Amino acid sequence: MTEIIMEARDVVHQYPDGTRALNNITLSLEKGKKIAFLGPNGAGKSTLFLHFNGILKPARGKIIFRGREIRYDHSSLTELRKNVGIVFQDPEIQLFSASVYQEISFGPLNMGLSREEVRRRVDRAMEITGVTGLKNKATHYLSYGQKKRVSIADILAMNPQVIIFDEPTSGLDPKLTGQIMELFDGFSREGKTVILSTHDVNAAYSWADHVIVIKDGSVAGEGEPEDIFQDDGLLAAADLDKPWLVDVYRQLRSRGLVAEGCGVPRTREKLFGLIRNI
Amino acid sequence: MFQIDYYAYSNRMVSIHPAEKFLFSFITMLICLAINSYAVSLAVILLMTGAVVLRAGIPWGLYLKLMALPAAFLLVGVAAIALSVSFSGQAAGTFWGFSLAGVSVGVSAGGLALAGKIFLKSLAAACCLYFLALTTPMVDIISLLRKIKAPSLFMELMGLVYRFIFVMAETAEKIYTSQSSRLGYVNLNRGYHSLGQLVSNLFVKSYHRSKMLFIALTSRCYNGEITVLERNYSLSPGNIAVILLLDTGLVLFGIWEKWGGPAA
Ligand SMILES: Nc1ncnc2c1ncn2[C@@H]1O[C@H](COP(=O)(O)OP(=O)(O)OP(=O)(O)O)[C@@H](O)[C@H]1O
Ligand SMILES: [Mg+2]
Repeated sequence: MTEIIMEARDVVHQYPDGTRALNNITLSLEKGKKIAFLGPNGAGKSTLFLHFNGILKPARGKIIFRGREIRYDHSSLTELRKNVGIVFQDPEIQLFSASVYQEISFGPLNMGLSREEVRRRVDRAMEITGVTGLKNKATHYLSYGQKKRVSIADILAMNPQVIIFDEPTSGLDPKLTGQIMELFDGFSREGKTVILSTHDVNAAYSWADHVIVIKDGSVAGEGEPEDIFQDDGLLAAADLDKPWLVDVYRQLRSRGLVAEGCGVPRTREKLFGLIRNI
Repeated sequence: MFQIDYYAYSNRMVSIHPAEKFLFSFITMLICLAINSYAVSLAVILLMTGAVVLRAGIPWGLYLKLMALPAAFLLVGVAAIALSVSFSGQAAGTFWGFSLAGVSVGVSAGGLALAGKIFLKSLAAACCLYFLALTTPMVDIISLLRKIKAPSLFMELMGLVYRFIFVMAETAEKIYTSQSSRLGYVNLNRGYHSLGQLVSNLFVKSYHRSKMLFIALTSRCYNGEITVLERNYSLSPGNIAVILLLDTGLVLFGIWEKWGGPAA
């Protein structure tokens, strides 16, 4: 039996200028899963994420966390934000302090933890994200990738059950992208629900348990990555590319080089295994 | 200014307790101002220069360039003290001077001595401040002020302003680069136009950024007060002993030189 941790029901959100960013969106997210949101620019992914954290309030519809509708009074919101952390797309807007150490300690201190506990958490978050060596550096002398790591450590130190990453790998080199995706796998193994939005179909395909495609403020399709990325109609409608693994697999299939029942490979190694068996 | 900030984080004294550096800088400055003699001022300049260049490892070039700034201002300032102007012929005691249209300008030994004294004393005080600025990151200075119970709202503001100076400088630089890559500064006329746009956009962007920052803080349970953990420094008895020794030495030297030493 799977447990639903977060739900949106018929959520509508309209920005003050009249843009309808969310249009009767309904979806539910399973606890402990690795979930990737895909969709063109302006589809409403960031707007949806801000709803999960209680920053934005739906004009209509409701957000449900652990079976209970979110309430917007101070103490309920604080409770929600302890459990749902969000790493913003641009680390520059998230980092408010000139000191890396102070920056990371901000969230856990707001949670009312003891100073020793906060110190422990900050040290651990820095270790996991590999920024321990930067703790005495000024944030304004960090590189973009380093700032990104610090912004992840910010949230990690709060140890939320659900971690949301808004485009965590945009602007990062392939090596760092790989490292960050591995980091997310680690959170998932600890039983956390990891949610991210990305434009990198290859990363989403290999990494996610569940893929949700958003378009024009509602869900255009969702399911297992194997199914979503073979749905040509959906991919075309949402302007998504096919992952290269799927492309190569299809070529092999159409030439009759791989057997019917073996399924689409999710990793490079599995594909190479198939090719070796030809 | 950015260079000072850069070295504040990367000098060899960065791991020393900020309170020690703060005390050293201020006690030395007080001694120098209180005793007010050539020799003590010179000694303070030498001491601070040694601390900044030899101990903290700030390059000579940068240090001299930084010192040139207050020195130039001071020279202009004390020139007015050294010169005496009179309308009724050359004043008594001047050893050099000239007259022009009934106004005589001269330099007296007393005026020159006073100017020299003020010049050295002020330069020594500037050295003390540079010592603090070059060896202690702003973050530590703010932490220190917070520890001695400066108003917390003021300290939060100081911290944010400090961070945003850099964010704004970077934004301005990006806008400037993007403008000049599209010939925004090709001639004076276009240059004024582009600069105007740069400034107004900087305001709009800063406003937007502050709104986003508020959202990002809110998502981390911000409740109107920014509380952060300070870095732990440990006081070093050795350093404190050195500071006491140096400053006591300075005081004794000042007393001996002023009242007990060879007649000045
Ligand atoms: N503060 C705002 N005021 C007005 N409209 C906004 C605001 N923020 C976003 N929008 C609009 O809402 C829509 C959804 O934006 P959102 O940022 O959620 O998209 P997204 O899926 O995250 O896109 P991207 O992939 O580019 O990050 C867009 O049309 C956008 O222009
Ligand atoms: Mg977005």
